[in-house]
Amino acid sequence: MPRESSALTAYHMTETHPIAASVAEVRKQLEDHRYICSDQIATAVYLAYHLRKPILIEGPPGVGKTELAKTAAEMFDLPLIRLQCYEGLDEAKALYEWKYGKQLLYTQVLKQTLDEVLQGAKGFAESVQRLHEFGDIFFSEEFLEARPLLKALKEENGCVLLIDEVDKSDQEFESLLLEILSDYQVSIPEIGTVKAKRTPPIVFLTSNNTREISDALKRRCLHLYIPFPDVELEQRIVHARIPEIPDRLRTQLVRFIHELRELDLKKAPSISETIDWARTLLLLHADRLEPDIVRNTINVILKFQEDIESVEPEIARLTQKAVDAR
Amino acid sequence: MHRVLTNFIQALRNADVRISTAETLDALRTAELVGYADKALLKSSLSLVLPKTLDDKAIFDTCFDQFFAARENKPIEAFDAEGTQGSQGNANEEGPKQGSGTGAGGRAHGTEESTITEQQPSAAVANTPPDPSSASSPLGQMLLRGNRVEIGVEINNAGRQVGIERIEIFTQKGVYSRRILEAMGLLDLQSEISELEASADPTDRRRGHELGRRRDWLREEVRAYVEQQFLLHADVAGRRVRDDLLRTVRLSALDQRHRRHVEDLVRRMARRLIANHSHRRRTFKRGQLHVPRTLRRNMKYDDAIFDLHWKSEKVARPKVFAICDVSGSVSEYARFMLTFLYSLEEVLPKVRAFAFSSHLGEVTESFEDNPLERAIALALAEHGGGATDYGQAFVTFAALCLDDVDRRSTVILLGDARNNNGDLQLDVLKKIYERCGRLIWLNPEPRSMWNTGDSEMRHVSVYCHQVEECSTLAHLERFVAHLVRTHR
Repeated sequence: MPRESSALTAYHMTETHPIAASVAEVRKQLEDHRYICSDQIATAVYLAYHLRKPILIEGPPGVGKTELAKTAAEMFDLPLIRLQCYEGLDEAKALYEWKYGKQLLYTQVLKQTLDEVLQGAKGFAESVQRLHEFGDIFFSEEFLEARPLLKALKEENGCVLLIDEVDKSDQEFESLLLEILSDYQVSIPEIGTVKAKRTPPIVFLTSNNTREISDALKRRCLHLYIPFPDVELEQRIVHARIPEIPDRLRTQLVRFIHELRELDLKKAPSISETIDWARTLLLLHADRLEPDIVRNTINVILKFQEDIESVEPEIARLTQKAVDAR
Repeated sequence: MHRVLTNFIQALRNADVRISTAETLDALRTAELVGYADKALLKSSLSLVLPKTLDDKAIFDTCFDQFFAARENKPIEAFDAEGTQGSQGNANEEGPKQGSGTGAGGRAHGTEESTITEQQPSAAVANTPPDPSSASSPLGQMLLRGNRVEIGVEINNAGRQVGIERIEIFTQKGVYSRRILEAMGLLDLQSEISELEASADPTDRRRGHELGRRRDWLREEVRAYVEQQFLLHADVAGRRVRDDLLRTVRLSALDQRHRRHVEDLVRRMARRLIANHSHRRRTFKRGQLHVPRTLRRNMKYDDAIFDLHWKSEKVARPKVFAICDVSGSVSEYARFMLTFLYSLEEVLPKVRAFAFSSHLGEVTESFEDNPLERAIALALAEHGGGATDYGQAFVTFAALCLDDVDRRSTVILLGDARNNNGDLQLDVLKKIYERCGRLIWLNPEPRSMWNTGDSEMRHVSVYCHQVEECSTLAHLERFVAHLVRTHR
């Protein structure tokens, strides 16, 4: 079989987690954890588990990219390690750093014990010899401060590593990720290569597409695009998150959101905003959509004054349409 | 099955989806994991592994359907000229199956299906089930046996033998069809048919006629096969040839009907540049310690310096002022340069465009409000058509926005510098030159034509940082790539 060269074959999947038995099972489990998704998303998780490849998730903001990683962690009962990316993120914050303070103390301690170590040494050469024999732990695991990426590799039973908004980071950081993503190992110059423990982490990367991710990174990942869901799926999502909402209101508000997404807006309302809105309406004891109540709560779903102004005159029509639609 | 998958990947690559070898291996592993039985699952799995952008995913979807539908059709459909005559029940069974098969198959199969069914009644009237052994040539025997699967396999084999995957442009379709037929033994069949038809015996003549009919059907079949292979393997190779040509042809010599292709090409070039340059860079001045920051960051270690910080600089995006001559002779070049610059919006967010012939005007706003094509058409309509006056253009430009031009701006002048012997106002150009970071003059004429007649290149080039010939897309691409690179 191809791919012998890959370091991945070194990891034997001794037993498959019962959850990952089939795509349908993954989907069902995700739904049990209140993450309603399409087959495509379930397939992605299934493949990521079996091929041990990172998933790069793209899509408009608020469609549940980060949520998927969180739910997967919950589902597989693994710890979630999260790394939020931002401009200027570097290896000292993402990978590891030396505990400089402790190293400083160590050198001071060393200085005090130096006399004992060197006691009776004749000449410079012998002193240096003794110093070498003393053993140097200045650069050793003890003084290593593990940051999220290294922490994820050291996790004994595997974990879910979420690298959030990777498009916000710099190009250099992306290159830093390559080694981890393809071989689940990092090289620390002073120590050597640190490999993942028995089970490598399941890695999720999310991107809002503010810039193109490099080909090298994409090549190492499965690529999942999550679009806005269709009406039926979104209704199920709202139902899963807020089961107490009346059916009629749920149908109407989801249709209304879908009408909004058709318009030319600066920022279309996302799923998370649909859910917020549903909560709001529930709180206001609304049992169906009416223009007045929509007008009062529109700022929950639209986040730009410009958008609110352009939608305002349309509210009555859109509400009517959402109520009437079959 | 591995071959199928690698073939599919080849087809994807032909459709301009970039797939690396590593990804091919991933695809194989994925297919092994999910199996080939469930097509929907296979498709959604592969769509996670192979295409890595949204555009690619769309291409992948159509390509997958096309490819696997085509493959499925062949074995299922049996050539049922025999079947209908043999047993009615069998034919009935076949009916719906074929219907669904054709539905997924696409047009090529649909048409040939109908020709066969049309011809069937005549075969039934003749009421002579042709005996395969009556034909002497192997191809004739096979045709008379009429097993469609067998014929399909033969066509495939012959196709491979003549190297159908190397087909490049559509004019080669005929050649490849003929080669495949010949490889299958058409010549023998041909001579057999003419022999039979010349025979005195009416049964022989009828047999010859029947063979001829089946030969024509085979021809259709082969043509459809070549057509399909062409779509899979070649359309793109042909396009590559065309693209290469278009890149090097002079833009003014461009045919109207190629314009769409060129615009498409420009967009693709721009996309590539964006992919390469979209991240903002810092240049690190390695070796120059940022002393204050280093001291500040190391205070927590009792001023022992562990953590070094180097001087770095965020590279600013350039401001681009594009001044385009849109008079008759140069307007075509202006069109493509503006298309190019505005396709690069992600990398060059601050482009201001000016158009002039006799008078200069800013067209930036029109580009912001309208789609690209329309904005360009508007600019050409509004400012084109006059006699070129560079002097006036410099003066108006200076009056409009000399204050906005600074060290970080690049001024691009596109024009042939033919000023109809008017006043050039060189002192104004000099002012612009001194103020801006770079002033680049792009001349669509070949260098040998510069300084001939009323061309003023010699005079204007004194006040330019760079003068370039820019008559083909290749020139334009090189220039723009340079522009983006020096500024990132």
